[in-house]
Amino acid sequence: MYRSQQLALKYLAAAIAVFGVMTLAGLLSAYYYINPDFLFGLLHFNIAKILHIDTMVIWLLMGFMGAIYWFLPDEFDSELVGIRAAEILFYVFCAAVAIVAVVLVVIQYGSSDETALWLINQGRKYVEAPRWAAAGVVVVMLVFAYNIIGTAFATRRITGITAVLMIDLVPLILLYLIAFPAISNMSADLFWWWWLVHLWVEATWEVLIGCIMAWTLMQLLGTSRRIVETWLYIEVALVLGTGILGLGHHYFWIGTPNYWLTIGGFFSALEPLPLLGMVIHAIYDAGTHHMTTTNRPSFYWMMAEAFGNFLGGGVWGFMITLPQVNLYAHGTQWTVSHGHFAFWGAYACGVLSVIYLVIQKTRGLAHLESTLWKWSFAALNIGLVGMVGALLVSGFAQAFVERAIGGSTHEAFVAGQENRWFVEGMVTRLVFGLMFAAGYVVLVWDLLTIGRRVPALAAAEVAE
Amino acid sequence: MNEISLLQTALLLGLYVALAGSYGLVYAIARLHEGSILYRISFIVYGLHGLTAIAIIVWTPLQAGWKGLIVASSAAFLAIPPLTWRFLQRTHETEVQG
Repeated sequence: MYRSQQLALKYLAAAIAVFGVMTLAGLLSAYYYINPDFLFGLLHFNIAKILHIDTMVIWLLMGFMGAIYWFLPDEFDSELVGIRAAEILFYVFCAAVAIVAVVLVVIQYGSSDETALWLINQGRKYVEAPRWAAAGVVVVMLVFAYNIIGTAFATRRITGITAVLMIDLVPLILLYLIAFPAISNMSADLFWWWWLVHLWVEATWEVLIGCIMAWTLMQLLGTSRRIVETWLYIEVALVLGTGILGLGHHYFWIGTPNYWLTIGGFFSALEPLPLLGMVIHAIYDAGTHHMTTTNRPSFYWMMAEAFGNFLGGGVWGFMITLPQVNLYAHGTQWTVSHGHFAFWGAYACGVLSVIYLVIQKTRGLAHLESTLWKWSFAALNIGLVGMVGALLVSGFAQAFVERAIGGSTHEAFVAGQENRWFVEGMVTRLVFGLMFAAGYVVLVWDLLTIGRRVPALAAAEVAE
Repeated sequence: MNEISLLQTALLLGLYVALAGSYGLVYAIARLHEGSILYRISFIVYGLHGLTAIAIIVWTPLQAGWKGLIVASSAAFLAIPPLTWRFLQRTHETEVQG
């Protein structure tokens, strides 16, 4: 095994650990809606929410990096250039994440000065990590880029997938720099902040997961490089074509010119089209292989990705993306429902698919199978669908009572929060959140033990 | 837009895309199994998608431009599954021959 693949295992293990922190912080955030006095004066809802969202970003990023460090040595047929620096930075990255989490929980907020900005909290949604940590993320990403681009040039092996990946690294790093400036004009600040948030998620991350899924398809189903590269080009072109200007759906109500209503609505409305193509592609792959593979957990998680992406991004997104509906739905639990479903479908399922693939390789199993993965697959997906369904109902209540009837006054906000449909939606979300958490526990246990519980069978399979 | 038309519009928009996805799903399964009944079902599902599009155009207070986009998207949704399938078959066939 290459050193970069050993590093990949560390990144994937760290990703699963941070996934657990995200789940815990999510449960905590969900409980605040039912008991707002919980931990009053000790730990505010805002902090739990920051932890929930920031750890989501971190675990997915670690999952992507782990996947890429795993696949790249085989792609280049060589160890990665600068792997020593990457190994050191892995520990720096993990330590930084832990320190930031402790600071956020213990210190929480500072005064509105440069010191607080650098050491405690940048105060910008989703990129709250203090500046020293944000600078650390940039260093990690630069070394990551050096590993990939340096190796490609050193080995003179630039495939279609690595070419797409290398091009994607440029905006991935540049867009993150938007995390740094503290712009005092809120409209201008949000304008640029959405470049980071939206274009990371609906552009650069889409390309990353496209590259990762291309390698996964090659290893899991034996699909030829020519086919996956052809589809990677098409899907990346379609996703970027609709996703980049789909950015406009975040510009509807932040003080930007009116033409963003048309641009944002139009390109967002086109976003389900390539997602439907991905669903057709998934069914084709599943059907031509008769749903048989040597690694069913990985295969099923890959299928879940295609369908989850379409439902979460396509169906849930289309409900609220046109300006006339978005006027009432934005900032309610409705958008939270869409966010949960879309992230889960587009990214989390893909990372879990790769992790099962890597486990099969590292444990030398000809077939990867267990009963537990089915339980975790069911609990995580049913838990997630239950949560997004409950959030959707709560969001309907908010849009209906608070926005459409009440006209977004303070009284209307309170009426929305006290509405029975909203409250019951929040309770149901917590119940399904607990199911999701149970699925996470089973997932971890399965990842630790799959292939080890039946060593004799595994050995026999390898011998075959 | 009042509170009732808000929920009606949003739910119809969600149903519109969900039915387009269901059409694609059934169409792809029909192609896999070469089943004529499944083909028919896929076009019935697309018909339901079309009815949803008509409902959006007739009942919702969306502006005319968005309604035009709904019609154009329906045409695209109809074409995407067969086009994608044909392209997938072609790339895989040339791979086998190659």
